[in-house]
Amino acid sequence: MVLFGVDVDYLAFVVLFCVGLYMLVRKSNLLKKLLGLNVMETAVFAFLVTAGMIEGADPPIRTAGTGPLFANPIPHAMVLTGIVVAVSVTAVALALIVQIHAHYGTIEVDELKGLP
Amino acid sequence: MTFSWSQAVAWLPVLPLAAAALVPIVAQRNARAAGGFTFVVTLLTAALAVALTIRLVAEGPLTVHLGGWVAPYGIELRFDRLGAWSAPLATFFALVVPFAWRYLEGSVPRERWAAFYALMLLNLGGLIGFSLTVDLFNLFLAMEVVSISSYALVAVAGRGTAAWAALKYLLLGSVSSLLVLFAVALLFALTGSLNLFDVAARLAASEPSPAATLALASLAVAFVVKAALFPLHVWLPDAHAIAPSPVSAVLSGLVVKIGIVGLVRVMQLAGESGIALDVFSELLMLLGAVAIVMGAFLAIFQDDIKLMLAYSTISNIGYIVLGLGLAVPFAVSGALVHVFNHALIKVTLFLAAGSIIHQTGLRTLTDLRGVGRTLPQTCAAMTLGAMAIVGLPPTAGFISKWYIGLGAFSAGRVAYGFALVFGALFVFIYYVRMLNTFYFQRATREEVVAAVEPPWSMRGPVIALAAACLIVGLFGGILLAFITPAVGELLAAMGS
Repeated sequence: MVLFGVDVDYLAFVVLFCVGLYMLVRKSNLLKKLLGLNVMETAVFAFLVTAGMIEGADPPIRTAGTGPLFANPIPHAMVLTGIVVAVSVTAVALALIVQIHAHYGTIEVDELKGLP
Repeated sequence: MTFSWSQAVAWLPVLPLAAAALVPIVAQRNARAAGGFTFVVTLLTAALAVALTIRLVAEGPLTVHLGGWVAPYGIELRFDRLGAWSAPLATFFALVVPFAWRYLEGSVPRERWAAFYALMLLNLGGLIGFSLTVDLFNLFLAMEVVSISSYALVAVAGRGTAAWAALKYLLLGSVSSLLVLFAVALLFALTGSLNLFDVAARLAASEPSPAATLALASLAVAFVVKAALFPLHVWLPDAHAIAPSPVSAVLSGLVVKIGIVGLVRVMQLAGESGIALDVFSELLMLLGAVAIVMGAFLAIFQDDIKLMLAYSTISNIGYIVLGLGLAVPFAVSGALVHVFNHALIKVTLFLAAGSIIHQTGLRTLTDLRGVGRTLPQTCAAMTLGAMAIVGLPPTAGFISKWYIGLGAFSAGRVAYGFALVFGALFVFIYYVRMLNTFYFQRATREEVVAAVEPPWSMRGPVIALAAACLIVGLFGGILLAFITPAVGELLAAMGS
């Protein structure tokens, strides 16, 4: 969708990415940092999905009465794989945060910095 | 089913990945057997990779299209002179794994051994996949397999400090992975292809677009983070020093190199698609030179031997990146040979340091005074590794640093040549300090006096690696001759 000469899809993606980055950099709580990372991931996935979009095309499933234009299915397959990767990273990160909390009793970065 | 060489290429990353899934089953019976199983798998992978390399020299590169779909639609694996990096990768793993058998007994709880060996195999499979694939999305996936297994390996020894170091590594590593995915998405949106050479050809045929430059820039930044080049190195020292020593050896010697392989891929992509790399090369040279000096300078102040080795990795990555940035034949050949040499030397040093830590329970230079007298063989190996990393002839580090230096002077970059010399000077200082404490100071700790040489499963790999540091140095010309055709192709594409 294009508004005032700017592609709104891409604008939304950039805003979402920056929100995620801000959370990752500025928040002191490790869980919030991780959420920021997830928001950034979502932004990239959204970009990837829109890259496969074709105006006025059918879903890429061939039955009677579909076509001739089909949406590109490859980005969808890539995003699915990407989501699996993102879930794995999140799982590892959460496990680490649990261990950090068990050992230090806090998950705030500014408190962790002073500890050995 | 008949044997074909191209199928062997596909098996190379699949073998360790599939075996990783079997490790917990083997460990269910006997945790120790999992170590043996992992060793056999790494040995098989190494044998396959070496056989493929010998075939490569005789008959030329191999490509395989997974699932029979021809490129650019299918996924293409390529075993060329850069992909041959998988042979040393697997060989180093085959030396690190037996070292880990006994090392784990002292540092990792028994119930985590299965996880440790499975993660090591995943890491190897990812590293091999990364160096073979020409498909951009697969490049991202292989990188994530390597990264996620590395995060977990840092934390595998337990305790909260390791988890905190691993999380710092994870947060920065994930952002860089995300940049790679973003760049891949951008290139796909621009060209509709994922095959690296097909993407480059389509970019070359179309109008120059700022989006392509943005994609290459974010790829470059991402790989610079993975390689831990100086200002983006902050995650490295803690993660590499806190991890168990076999893991440190793998992370410092091999895993950081995915950043370098990635940068070479960026150079290929840019070269083939005709995007000018001037700013990029200048930046690489500058950061490389700063990294050489700063890494070595910071290493001088470390008391913890593993932390010292971790900073020395930052300095050595600087050498490699400087060599790549110079983009003249001497320097790039030197840089690519240094990828191998640094891996060899750093694995030697970390395993030797691991033996010392395992036998004495101490890890700072202050505590380890006089350890050269009680652990003569291990410390001799450490000394040989230290000489190699300083770059004294005739050890392994000499020829690659010499070529990077020659490249700097032949490109007329005299200042960078001097940075290289100053870096070597700092490196010399901190290794002299280490050798001085090991051999010429009186032992102050009981543990050092009572220490005995480690068991042969640990001592064997360390001595073999130290011997290799010397032998590779004597026959360094072979490595240069092996990599030169690949460098020629790379530079011809970049048009310089």
